[in-house]
Amino acid sequence: MKRLVIPGEILADKPLRLDHTLVEDGKTCSTIIGLFDDQAGSFIPIEGLWYPQPGEKVVGIVDEARLNTDSINLNAPYKGLIISKFTEGNLVNGDIIEATVKDLDKTGTVVLVRPRPLYGGKVLAIKPSKVPRLLGKNDTMIKQIAEGTKSSISVGMNGLVWVKGGNSDLATDAILKIQEEAHVSGLTERIAKMVGASNQM
Amino acid sequence: MDKPELIINGKRLDGRTPEQLRPIKITAGPIRNAAGSAYIEWGTNKILAAVYGPREALPKHTSDPDKAIIKCRYTMAPFSSLEEHGRPGMNRRAIEISKVTKEVFENVVLLDLFPGNEISIFVEVLQSDGGTRAAGITCAAVALAASGIPMRDIPYAVSVGKAGDTLILDMNKTEDNYSNADMPVAINPRTKEITLLQMDGELTPEQVRQGMAMIDKAGETITRIQREALRRPYEKVQEKYKASI
Repeated sequence: MKRLVIPGEILADKPLRLDHTLVEDGKTCSTIIGLFDDQAGSFIPIEGLWYPQPGEKVVGIVDEARLNTDSINLNAPYKGLIISKFTEGNLVNGDIIEATVKDLDKTGTVVLVRPRPLYGGKVLAIKPSKVPRLLGKNDTMIKQIAEGTKSSISVGMNGLVWVKGGNSDLATDAILKIQEEAHVSGLTERIAKMVGASNQM
Repeated sequence: MDKPELIINGKRLDGRTPEQLRPIKITAGPIRNAAGSAYIEWGTNKILAAVYGPREALPKHTSDPDKAIIKCRYTMAPFSSLEEHGRPGMNRRAIEISKVTKEVFENVVLLDLFPGNEISIFVEVLQSDGGTRAAGITCAAVALAASGIPMRDIPYAVSVGKAGDTLILDMNKTEDNYSNADMPVAINPRTKEITLLQMDGELTPEQVRQGMAMIDKAGETITRIQREALRRPYEKVQEKYKASI
């Protein structure tokens, strides 16, 4: 049985190795708002910030294109950086890109590789903690939205989502609905009904 | 003006008993553009708190390469009080309250996760009736939790004072003006750590002990209200679909 927990709430009277938790005096307590499953011992964040992990895909906006490096706005506490030798062609300020995280350096800068410009479309900012729910298991949720609305969608783990073409307004509504209702069961069915795609779950 | 009688037949000016809190109502997330926000009505106090960040600490010399820094700004609206509060913006009192509020949250937020960044906390008092620093801290704690910034606990704050020889909890403006002592305290409810302790006037060690016991008891109520405020937005969606989480 999952329960909604808030910061400072004790999850277990023993130390557990879980993200977004803290062990003090041998007890595990939550540091953010999330869902805790007592039986499975799992913690799903509802509110939370993004912590870059190598290999993750992100969407960003070019802040400052320079000769050797490009500075990328990731809408996060970390600044993105692309070293130009990894770039094919030139990026200009305001370009939307998707890229992969190579590393997080000591100064809190995220080194990005394999940048790919995304032309046109629009960028939505959602809470990074809702991104796994937006993607769904094996990306089923996002594929469902993309098929239902005929839009091209690129989701960054940092919470920026790029949407272009098709019924992009409906896709936007569906993405924002997932953000609002991520913690309530039966979401896949409601989204399937909304975008009119067949339920593949 | 003569000093008014603060307690008559065991009741205070507003009809409360000495250890009774004023009614508290908290709403989480009223400000859309902030990372987290909260609105509190504590008696007739009305306070908005908003949290932004973590974001790059500017100017750069204020940043700490090992951890995030907290910047706090407590201000009273020029129309917030019955008395003339003068020019809007920071005065001596606002600077002091901003500092103590900042220090409360420096002990609660996991700052080492965001080196070089700043977390900004804004507390705006729209209507004041005594105890606004305590209400501001209680409100800002909810705003911080709603923003998803990792915290060790959700602190609460409340004041205790002395009218004659009687200890009174959560003083309003009139009681504050004519009481013999005022002691605002902020506590982390899980660990019972004290993160703020100030005092005006005189209290004996025994009275401080009694006052802390009153605060501890009131803290259970305040903590419950804070937690309910944080849960309410999620429970609303749940109720809408009559579904489980």
